[in-house]
Amino acid sequence: MAKILIVDDSRTSRKMLRNILESNGHEIIDEAVNGQEGVQKFQALKPDVVTLDITMPVVDGVEALKMIKALDPESKVVMVTAAGQKSKMIECIKAGANEFLTKPFEQQEIVDVINKMSN
Amino acid sequence: MFDQIFGNYLVKTGRITKEQLSDVIESESKVRVKLGLIAVAEKLMTTEQADEVNNLQAIRDRRFGDIAVEKGYLTEAQVGSLLKKQGNIYMIFVQNLIDKGLMTLEQVDEALKSYQDQQGFTHSDMDDLVSGDVDRTVRLFLPSNTELCDKHCGIAIRTFLRIINSGAYVSKAYLTDTLKIDNFAMQQLAGDHNIYAGFAGIGNSLLTIANPFADEEFETVDLDALDAVGEFTNCINGLFASELGNEGVDMDMLPPAFYEKASRITGNQFCVFPIHVEEQEIFFILAIDSIISVN
Repeated sequence: MAKILIVDDSRTSRKMLRNILESNGHEIIDEAVNGQEGVQKFQALKPDVVTLDITMPVVDGVEALKMIKALDPESKVVMVTAAGQKSKMIECIKAGANEFLTKPFEQQEIVDVINKMSN
Repeated sequence: MFDQIFGNYLVKTGRITKEQLSDVIESESKVRVKLGLIAVAEKLMTTEQADEVNNLQAIRDRRFGDIAVEKGYLTEAQVGSLLKKQGNIYMIFVQNLIDKGLMTLEQVDEALKSYQDQQGFTHSDMDDLVSGDVDRTVRLFLPSNTELCDKHCGIAIRTFLRIINSGAYVSKAYLTDTLKIDNFAMQQLAGDHNIYAGFAGIGNSLLTIANPFADEEFETVDLDALDAVGEFTNCINGLFASELGNEGVDMDMLPPAFYEKASRITGNQFCVFPIHVEEQEIFFILAIDSIISVN
C-alpha cells in the first residue's frame, strides 16, 4: 500500500484516481489543485508517490516536477498526461519523471503503475 | 449513425412517430453486437485482447478493427468477415421499419429520395450514408472550410461515439459569428496554431457528456459538471494535438476554462458542430486561428 498525493486541477480526474487507487488498497493522503499547492503538500506530507497532472494553472506539472525533484531527487512522481503532449513528456523525462499515466484513465494501467512505484 | 439521422427525418416529416422511432432504435440495439464481442464469440480474440483494444480506442483515434490488426490479434480478412457478421446498421433499421409494419420498402425509398433532395446530397453521398460506416457518414456533415477544422470535428464526434454515447448523431456543421448558449467548457491550444475547442449547451444538455464521462449523476450544469466536460474536451484535444504532432505541428494544451452562466459566444466565423444525444442538442465549438469571446 502506498501513501499518495494527487495533484490535478480537475475534480473529475482527482475523483477518478482516488476511487481507483483506494479500491486497490492505496491511501490518498491529500489532494492539490495546482503545482504550487502540490509542491507545498509534498514538502509537508512526504508521500510515497505523487501523481502530477501536466496541464494545470498557476504552476504546471512540469515546473512542479522540477521543484519536487530539487527537494527530493529520490521522490517517485507519476506524470498524468493527455495524448498529444509528446514534447512535454520529453521535458518531464529529462526532469526525472518516474512514470506516465494517460487520460482517459484505464484502471489496470493505473494500478500497475502505482504498484510498481510502491514496491 | 444514419439510422438516427434518417429516423429523425421520418419523424419530422410525419412519416412515423417519435415513439415508433424509439421502438425501432431499441430493437436495433438488441441485434447489433459490438465487433469485439463477435470476435471473442468466434474465438478469434480473447476477452483480455478485446478489452485491451477497447481501452486503446479511448486514447487513439482508430477503429477497433484497425487496432486489432495492428496488434496482430486479427487479420484484415478476419475484420472484414466480422464486419459482415455485425451487419449494416442502416439496413437493420430499414428491416425493422418494414417488419413492424410502419413503412413499406417503396415508402422508405421515397422518403430517402426526399431526404436527399432536401439536403442536396449526391448519389455518391447517399452511398456513403447508407453504407452504415460512421466515418463515411460523418464526413458529409463536416464544415469542409479547412482541413484542420474537419480533422478536429471528426476526432470530436468519433471520440464522442466511443466514450460518451454510441447512439449520438450529428447535424451539418456551420460557421457563424455568434451563438446563443447557457454554458460552455473549452480549452485553448497554443503553438503553431491558436485554437479554441469545447462543448456548449442550452439548459442542462451538457449533462449528456458530464454524467457518463465522470460516472456521476449531476442534476445541473454546475462547475463540477463543466469540469467533467472539460476533461472530455481535453481527451479530444489531446488526440488532435497528437495527430498534428505526427505531422510536425507543435501544439500546447492550456488548462480548460468554464462558463457556468453564459449567454453568447461571439467571434469571427467559428465552427458550430451540432451533436444530438438523448433528445438533447449540444454544440462542439471550434475556432482555429481566430479569437472567440464568451459573454
